[in-house]
Amino acid sequence: MSRPVPLLSASGLTKAHGRTPALRGASVDLHAGEILAVTGASGSGKSTLLHCLAGIVRPDEGSVTYDGRRLADLPEKRLSELRRTEFGVVFQFGQLIPELTALDNVALPLLLAGTDRARSRTLAGEWLERFGVRGQQDLRPGEMSGGQAQRTALARALVTGPRVVFADEPTGALDSLSGEQVMTALVHTARESGTAVLLITHDAQVAAYADREVQLRDGAVAPLGVTA
Amino acid sequence: MKALRADLRLAWELTRGSDRGEWWRVALTATGAALATGFALAAVALASLRGSYRVSVAAGLLDEPGTRSGVIVGLLLLLVPVLGFLGQCARVGAVHRDRRLAGLRLAGATPWQVRRIAALETGLACLLGSAVATVCTVLLLLRQWDRPTALAWVGITLVAVAVPVLGAASGALALRRVVASPLGWVRRVGPRGGRGPGLLFLAGVLLVGVLALLTVGTTSPAASNRPNGGPPLQLMGVVLAVGAGAVWLSGATAKATGRILAVRARSAATLIAAERLRDDPWSAARTHAAVLLVTVVGTGFLGIRQVMSDVVRTQRFSAPASYYTTGLDLTGAAIAIAFAITLSGLAVGTAESLATRRRGLAAQAAAGVPRTVLGRALLLETALPLAPAVLLSGLGGTAIGTWYALLAGRPVPWAITLVPVAVYAACLLAAATSLPLLRRSLRPGELRYA
Repeated sequence: MSRPVPLLSASGLTKAHGRTPALRGASVDLHAGEILAVTGASGSGKSTLLHCLAGIVRPDEGSVTYDGRRLADLPEKRLSELRRTEFGVVFQFGQLIPELTALDNVALPLLLAGTDRARSRTLAGEWLERFGVRGQQDLRPGEMSGGQAQRTALARALVTGPRVVFADEPTGALDSLSGEQVMTALVHTARESGTAVLLITHDAQVAAYADREVQLRDGAVAPLGVTA
Repeated sequence: MKALRADLRLAWELTRGSDRGEWWRVALTATGAALATGFALAAVALASLRGSYRVSVAAGLLDEPGTRSGVIVGLLLLLVPVLGFLGQCARVGAVHRDRRLAGLRLAGATPWQVRRIAALETGLACLLGSAVATVCTVLLLLRQWDRPTALAWVGITLVAVAVPVLGAASGALALRRVVASPLGWVRRVGPRGGRGPGLLFLAGVLLVGVLALLTVGTTSPAASNRPNGGPPLQLMGVVLAVGAGAVWLSGATAKATGRILAVRARSAATLIAAERLRDDPWSAARTHAAVLLVTVVGTGFLGIRQVMSDVVRTQRFSAPASYYTTGLDLTGAAIAIAFAITLSGLAVGTAESLATRRRGLAAQAAAGVPRTVLGRALLLETALPLAPAVLLSGLGGTAIGTWYALLAGRPVPWAITLVPVAVYAACLLAAATSLPLLRRSLRPGELRYA
């Protein structure tokens, strides 16, 4: 029986920030609908790996392939479009525009894709409903709790129906209860829509939500095996 | 004294360990202080003259008390855009500086200590600018004037001391919220909303007005051919009233534009720009107010200049034509300088707004928001509120020019209607100077720092 072709695949990635190496030959595969946790100590290169996989930065060496296309071959404009339509990105904080309401923040990717304002807002409202923050739709990020803001960020990452969601420490700034709510919402929605999730975390409890976990050590991947 | 030395050392250490933004703030604040000192010293030197003199520069404009008081008022009016510029400089790195000082409070510093450190940070930059400008002005003055009077020296000393002292006081005042609530400030992540039009700026404008009243009141009555300083005072009053109104007008325009467009925006760039305006309409009000003033004064002046040049060319007067043309040229130069300072303030304000938001912007770009959309939103933040405000002020300036032309029985100089268009274009270009900074702010490296 042949192994399924990974949706996203990285091979031999190296990347240095100035003279400090962050990745040293890291390789990782992500399959469609899979939830993969990447764990590791601080400074092990987790965030840099996510940035390379999402096409945010170009690796110094090695390649990233998404759905049969090498990201290195795509121009910056196409990479932006890819991140807007087929990828969703969630950071620990900062991705919501502070001046926009929760509803407009979630509607923004749709507006950028050319959907009209009214339709964008309707769809955004539905996604906020799914994540249990419909009641906060008129609040700005600064007026919401950390958990509400992060669920809004998840709604924004998923509103375009991406095939892969990259989540960089999505619960890193939250208390355990809020973190649990965010992870439950993310995993539930990803399972429902068949979205693959690459989850960067240093928290074992968060990693436990994943189908598979790989550990980064000094910029290289050390597989741990199936955890769920 | 020992405590002051310790605070001075701490202020220096904090500044030295700061990022490039802080050094920019110091350099720009020193430049603004140097400009303010230079203009004030020139005004003081002229104000110390009594009666008629033969001054070798300005084609006789400075010889008589009447015209001299007009020049003094002009020099003092140049302080208004400088104040706007200094206000924008104070915003450079403001978020990081506020957090740093709030951190000091959390580490156990008393409110008074934090105020002193903040005052020293700003005061030292102002002292640097003030010292350089004072030395240059005094050297220049001694080349023109063999023995300046004691009154001139007193005025020069007062200005040289007052600029850094006022700078330090405004630095301490600007941090009153941090001192009052350090925890609240540290936790604040979004920009402040509902701010007023800048009390410090208005206080500064008021101070300029009082100084102008004093100087005109003490110099002009000495003139034999002009018993009182009425016209310059009336002009000063009108400009100050228009200036104060302009601050409110620009803030109110920004707020209304944001509110109207936020609900009707069809594109992401317009939505982002409109919501930013609605959220903090006062952030650029001081600079925009200076733009409005320059537009009114510039448009009106060009109309008056055209009519007066026409009159001087076709009629004979007791004074030589160069007397009038030099006056017109000097006024034009002063307006051009004011406009250049205003544009610099606008550019600094736009750059600061980007620098404060750079991590969020990098996150937007990482999430796929195109750079062009963010760039358009940045330009729209300047373009949207300025459009109606510049239009109104352009109309005001055109009305002044038209009124003067009709008064003199000359053709209306319609070419001046192009001035607001040129001002608007220049403002957009000034805002566009921040686009390279936007490109740098969107680098993924920004995602690595909080």
